[in-house]
Amino acid sequence: MSSGCPPQSPAVAKSEVAVEGECPLLAATFAYWDNILGPRVRHIWVPKGEQLMFLSDGEITFLANHTLNGEILRSAECGAVDVKFFVLAEKGVIIVSLIFDGELKGDKNTCALSIILPQTELAFYLPLHTICVERLKHVIRKGRIWMQKGYNIISVLSLEIVPIMELLASMKTHSVPEDIDIKDTVLNDDDIGDSCHEDFLHKAISSHLQTCGCSIVVGSNPEKVNKIVRTLCLFLTQAERKSSRLCRADSSFKYDTGLFVQGLLKDSTGSFVLPFRQVLYSPYPTTHIDVDINTVKQMPPCHEHTYNQRRYMRSELSTLWKTDSEEDIPPDTVIHTDEAFTPDLNIFQDVAHTDTLVKSFIDEVFMLKPGLSLRSTYLAQFLLLLHRKALALLKYIEDETQKGKKPFRSLRNLKTDLDLTVEGDLTIVMAFAEKLRAGLHSFVFGKPFLTSMQERDVLMSF
Amino acid sequence: MIGSPDVVAFTRDDDFSQANPELWLLPEEFSIPLHPLADSNPWAKTSYAKFTKDFILISEFSEQVGPQPLLTIPDDPRVCGTFDLNYFSLRIMSVDYQASFVGHPPGSGYPRLSFVEDSRVVLGDSKEGAFAYVHHLTLYDLEARGFVRPFCMAYVSADERKIMLQFQELSLRFSQASECLKAGNRRAFAKELQRKLRDLEYTHSVLQREEGLQREAGPQCVYSAHAVEKANELANVEKSIYEHRDLLKQLSSYHRQPRRDPHAAACHRCVAECLSQCEELLEQYAKLPARPSGPSGPSGPAGPGPEEEEGVKRRPSYTPQLIKAKSAKCFDKRLKTLKELCDETFYEATVELLKETERSFRGDLCYLHTRRLDRALRRTLRLTDFLFEEDLNAEDETGTLRAFCAVSHTADNHTLLNAPPIVLGPEPAELDALDPSSEASHTQESELGPGGSQLESSPSDQTLETQESSEETKGSFSSDKSGPGHAEKPESEACIKSEPPDSDLTPDPDHNTDLERESSSEDMETTAGEDDNGDQTPVSLLEVVSELEAAGDEVPSDLLVPLDTACCMAQDGFLYEASPREVLPRLGSSSHPRVVNQEPQALLPVQDAYAVGSPGSARAAGLELPVGPLGDAGSGASAEDGSDGTMSASTGSDRAASPVGYGAVATQRQRKKAAQGALRFVRQYPFAVQALWCLLSGRTLVVLGADEGRVRRLVAALALFVPAPGKCGERIQAWLSCPFTLTDLQRWKLIGLQRVASPVGSSMLHSLSRYSRYIAILDADQRSLRCPSYRGHVLSNVADHRTCIRRGSTYFLHLQSTLCRLAARAFLLTFTHHLHLPVSCAEGPAAVEGRRRCFLQEQLGLGEEDGRVLLYLSQLITQRYLQPPGGGSAAPPTFTFNYTTSVFYKI
Repeated sequence: MSSGCPPQSPAVAKSEVAVEGECPLLAATFAYWDNILGPRVRHIWVPKGEQLMFLSDGEITFLANHTLNGEILRSAECGAVDVKFFVLAEKGVIIVSLIFDGELKGDKNTCALSIILPQTELAFYLPLHTICVERLKHVIRKGRIWMQKGYNIISVLSLEIVPIMELLASMKTHSVPEDIDIKDTVLNDDDIGDSCHEDFLHKAISSHLQTCGCSIVVGSNPEKVNKIVRTLCLFLTQAERKSSRLCRADSSFKYDTGLFVQGLLKDSTGSFVLPFRQVLYSPYPTTHIDVDINTVKQMPPCHEHTYNQRRYMRSELSTLWKTDSEEDIPPDTVIHTDEAFTPDLNIFQDVAHTDTLVKSFIDEVFMLKPGLSLRSTYLAQFLLLLHRKALALLKYIEDETQKGKKPFRSLRNLKTDLDLTVEGDLTIVMAFAEKLRAGLHSFVFGKPFLTSMQERDVLMSF
Repeated sequence: MIGSPDVVAFTRDDDFSQANPELWLLPEEFSIPLHPLADSNPWAKTSYAKFTKDFILISEFSEQVGPQPLLTIPDDPRVCGTFDLNYFSLRIMSVDYQASFVGHPPGSGYPRLSFVEDSRVVLGDSKEGAFAYVHHLTLYDLEARGFVRPFCMAYVSADERKIMLQFQELSLRFSQASECLKAGNRRAFAKELQRKLRDLEYTHSVLQREEGLQREAGPQCVYSAHAVEKANELANVEKSIYEHRDLLKQLSSYHRQPRRDPHAAACHRCVAECLSQCEELLEQYAKLPARPSGPSGPSGPAGPGPEEEEGVKRRPSYTPQLIKAKSAKCFDKRLKTLKELCDETFYEATVELLKETERSFRGDLCYLHTRRLDRALRRTLRLTDFLFEEDLNAEDETGTLRAFCAVSHTADNHTLLNAPPIVLGPEPAELDALDPSSEASHTQESELGPGGSQLESSPSDQTLETQESSEETKGSFSSDKSGPGHAEKPESEACIKSEPPDSDLTPDPDHNTDLERESSSEDMETTAGEDDNGDQTPVSLLEVVSELEAAGDEVPSDLLVPLDTACCMAQDGFLYEASPREVLPRLGSSSHPRVVNQEPQALLPVQDAYAVGSPGSARAAGLELPVGPLGDAGSGASAEDGSDGTMSASTGSDRAASPVGYGAVATQRQRKKAAQGALRFVRQYPFAVQALWCLLSGRTLVVLGADEGRVRRLVAALALFVPAPGKCGERIQAWLSCPFTLTDLQRWKLIGLQRVASPVGSSMLHSLSRYSRYIAILDADQRSLRCPSYRGHVLSNVADHRTCIRRGSTYFLHLQSTLCRLAARAFLLTFTHHLHLPVSCAEGPAAVEGRRRCFLQEQLGLGEEDGRVLLYLSQLITQRYLQPPGGGSAAPPTFTFNYTTSVFYKI
């Protein structure tokens, strides 16, 4: 154990994690509020190797204890996970803490799972905050079950801490820049179809927008993959681009839940195995684009995706609850099923809806001369149009339903009034609106879907 | 409803009979809800909070009573509702934020001032539904424990995502406020130290005198207990003097401390000023007190020394006081308030800054977020932005971060902060050249709102009265410039305000003020422009007038030939007289639209690439565009204005005195209000689409009516559809009560015309009938429209009288997206080169025209009328594109008409 100043007694357990590349994460800690001793650090994870900044164990412990200060007042509901975010200029660090309650040695304790980064990484970290928090939140759900059973939570938490370290390290080297040069994308081709087939490009962009800008691009040629990744990222905001990752030339990264666009390299056999669970846990449905065989597939729309995701999460937690040995943590690769729920493994389907918005954009943008800034301007106009349409749609629904107090029954009118009669156009604009107002799909389309799901469940049960 | 667990329990009974099924069922507290409330209502996520909208809370960790709330912004109890501020203050101040030592460290000679960097924390109380960005800072107080008083400023919101997504902006704004407060505190602390030192000196001198007296009174070499006590007291006072002097020294070393916070928004000027103040004090007190001897030594003469006397003379406002030997107990003393801890100017500036911060973050995240994206995208769209968008700079006033520290924006601090100007960041030298007067004007502007220095529509409108009065006062323009008075405006404003609601455009009942949280999302746009009514600055108007007159004078008067209506009938357009040296092509007509055949520079940002170096270079590249020494199209001063002596005679310079429609930059708020009117117009007038098409295709629309209010409202509503209305709506004349001329039709694309029953009225009607074939006439009284018919489909979506859109703001968003699409297509048409240039030498204009027509019809699917809209917009873009950078004169707007049969529509 490295020590700048001596660790507090009793010595804090520490794991060193081997991470490829430079990991911006300084440490992760698990601390709890001991009813007699106050805040105590139970475990520290640190990446192995060179770091941007050195923190001694004592400092890490000191900071981790900080995260629990004031939590004696905590009055959250049982099971709630609260997030605290510190920027401590005095120490030059950022701390992200997830505060939750858990049972330790028979007592209910307030616990904190924290990650520590240098303050200089604030701009790098902020776009990735939601991804990290959501992933940590879920592992905490699992950890709470483990604690309830009296098992050691550290092994469960390690299941996500290590991938997050890897994610941050990979983003440090391969994240998509926030300013993309259109020359590095398909939109700079002299003519449509130069780099890829016209229909494929249209379908890819259309589906990408229909799935809220969330896509995975797989292929054997990293340059080709990255060109499509950059092209798709043109349609994202700068923050979303910073949450997107290019593909590595020599070997592929693992799929990471929560990134907007990620390029993945196929192996020597020409395949890339996607982890079902991780793809399902993505906050938005995903488009799967294979640049080798020019196929575009997409996951079901947001409301279905969210429903499937929650059911799977419940199933996973249920399985963990039923585990009767500390050694038997079910691996992530196992697909959880139970009596009431069998997930549909065929989550990627053909793109169902065609649109006119992207189609006309693709047709028109290639009329403008490449190499100038004309196409960038036209793209900006297209994005402005989509954002405005999304906001108009949101406001329309807000007016119609009195901000959700009444059910939305006038989809047909909406389509006519807002010029969204083509199904694909509506899907794209709805996807943009979903990002602005999470849960919109479930609100608009959820009821009939849930009814059909319940009917299916009932029928399957007999 | 049958839930799946019930069904499972019912159907799979045998599976669970072996063991207790309860044991294997995951308790809800360890699971996640399958149907969270947010799914049934996405707007309900922030409804748990007990406060109605976001607010800023300033709290203190008082050493006497613990955490306590001090101030909320806005200071309205309704905002916080039943939210427990005490509890929340306790929560946010309980965070261990400092992580560093303050006070008197063991082993050090004197107490140390701790220069602690601010901490930023985002935390929440999920049960209360309250989340906060908390900015912790420490102020100095001589009376406080360790000389420090911990405070925090918190932005409290019900939406956690809103805080995290805007963390950097919040952090920057609160850092500015914090630095301002701390700078003011350092000043106040220095003053406090000064007073304290003077008290100590005075006490020291009194004690010395007393001690000397006692020693003299008592026997030699024998010290009474009282004398010893006095000597100790004296020693303590001396020690205290050294300590306080050291504190002053520490304070002056503040700027030498390396800043550990890379995100601190420190103001160099504030720091420098405080430093000089401290150094001055240090110098002053370095020689004081001159201790004549030790406690047991011989005492000097009592009373203040000459230096001190001099000091007293210099500072007659403060009378030093005797300090008692034992200070008051901790809980007896009254701690200073936040206001007392800080220099007043700085305190006021901080509060103002926080108020501005609260305003700029007001509203729903999705609107704020989209607004920001919108702005970011529009920055790359300068070339088409002028068509339908409001001015980005005016809009930015509320949304962007100020580049200066808060103090520089207060109105009355010029004596305090006269020079050098304050900059944030490490390059103060760059801004040294800033003019304080511009700062002052900025201050004034910010106080008045963005339109503060601009003109309202009222004074610019033309009535016979204003014409006459302006003629009368024409000679006194220069004297008017010096005075702010503007007699006409309040009258006309009052006139508007006193009008009853229009029967046509009665506001919908559902458009009433919405007091729910969401309503604040629209309030955010009001911050910049609501105070436009307070505009009282005619100076700029007069300047504009004189500029226009000057421009008009320069125009060669023989360029234009006033045409008779009969002549117009015979021709396709109203043209310049062809001069031998400059033949102007008939640009703008559908047969010969302007062509951009020069490609923008490659590899440059759009706005730069589109900026042509000079009109001459554009012409050299083969552009067949009339670029002459004529007035700026945007300003509304065209060639015809000045050249046509006969036409100007009726209006003359007084006509030119009010070239603006709105008179001020229309804010988002005003545009939304106008959209409400537009929506009513669309719903109430089945022929609305015809009127909108006229506007969008460049045909001047005259709104005729007797009721000024009604006409004005209609004009305001229809103004949304006028392409390139100008920054201040120069292409719109909201109210005209004199006959208009043909040149006016080029200048204005939307005119509100008064119907009067008088000889003037008959001449106005005459002018209307005379030019009726070139214009569209919307009669607000008769509810009729006379214009060519429109059979396209592009506009049907924004002019469908059966639309279910209920609110003006929603319609505005829909309209924005439609107009955005139109602008994009016009851009495409403008810059798709093969549509404008011959592919080969053999190809003539007819072939190019055919290709363009084919493009419009087959590629874009537009009919004749829709195509005309695009051609007009494209023409405007071309004109804009060829305008040299810096807004100089470009090609004048060509005045052309296509004779088309008009149709009379009536409800």
